[in-house]
Amino acid sequence: MITLLKFKKYSFLFFVTLNLQCFFVFAEENKLPDWSGVWERYEGNGGMFDVSTTEPSDGMAGSPGVRQFPPLTVEWEKKYKENLLLVEKDRLPDPISYCGTPAGFPRLLALPDVYEFIVRPETTWIITENGPNIMRIYTDGRELPAENERWNTYTGESIGKWQDGMLTFKTVSMIGDKNTVLDRSGLTLSEQAEITTKIFKTNEGLLRAELKITDPIALHEPWHVTRHFRKLPANTRVFDYACAENNRNPITASGQTLTLGPDGKPIDKEIK
Amino acid sequence: MNAHHSSAMFDKNNVLVVEATVREFQWANPHVWIQIIIKDEANNEEEWSIEGIGINTLFRRGWRPNSFAPGDNIQIKFNPMLDGSPAGLFVGARFENGKILGKWDE
Repeated sequence: MITLLKFKKYSFLFFVTLNLQCFFVFAEENKLPDWSGVWERYEGNGGMFDVSTTEPSDGMAGSPGVRQFPPLTVEWEKKYKENLLLVEKDRLPDPISYCGTPAGFPRLLALPDVYEFIVRPETTWIITENGPNIMRIYTDGRELPAENERWNTYTGESIGKWQDGMLTFKTVSMIGDKNTVLDRSGLTLSEQAEITTKIFKTNEGLLRAELKITDPIALHEPWHVTRHFRKLPANTRVFDYACAENNRNPITASGQTLTLGPDGKPIDKEIK
Repeated sequence: MNAHHSSAMFDKNNVLVVEATVREFQWANPHVWIQIIIKDEANNEEEWSIEGIGINTLFRRGWRPNSFAPGDNIQIKFNPMLDGSPAGLFVGARFENGKILGKWDE
């Protein structure tokens, strides 16, 4: 009889504890902001990464003479100017032109098509329709992986935390100029870049991303970039983006973008 | 143009406006293609390839997989290729029933 009473008592305690845990998890989730739905980039300029320093101000990424002005080191300014010359000749090797290569972070904040921000207490995912890009930001309290357990990837490694509806996260271990550009003007960062990003919803309903970029190779001081996203109507659909499905614009070894006819053969009169 | 590739091969300072007949509409990633037949003054037919932007964004702008049908007679505006190849970058189209897709300022 006594054993049965103890069992009931402990069952009750277990039940209460379980419900309290559920309550706290639920409360934690409720503190997170609502970033649901479908979003698109707010800034124009054809994906120029830092529109605040873009010249001319209405210049489009990939157009000759259009550039931005981050606090580049002498070495990186030289590298950027070399890429700007390739843009003028239409020979800039943009990795995403080959179909299948991720844009990587931070360029994935400046892509065409649409975005989804999936918010959970333990992780936030940034998914770009114009992919393949899925960025994971861990907010479960973990540390960055040890140096010997990480390598440079397109989206890098990100850990962050929430406070008052703002997600703050640090990103390291990005591929850099090895195989990414920030936009089609040819701007790059080095593999040693580190980025602290703050994302929050503004009073106007935009998502605002504030980036502080440091890079001991490419930048002589921190570079601050701000990007925004606007929400699209509630019934907006998101689709596959299969870049190689019917890609009629392959790139030659010299970097020329070809145009293929319906028979799959180049129709360009000049192939250099 | 928001594309996965450079659009430097197109002459964006030049817009051609032609009467054409749709031969095929390729509704596929990464970009739509409209295959059109254009007749010259001697009534010779030539096929041109007109490239648009991605289907996902176009769908959200009201385009559909059957927006163009084979045999449609249209007026079409596009930026031609700089090297004179029979291809271009889509600007706008006007159908016989007055329907307009893209930009069509008179």
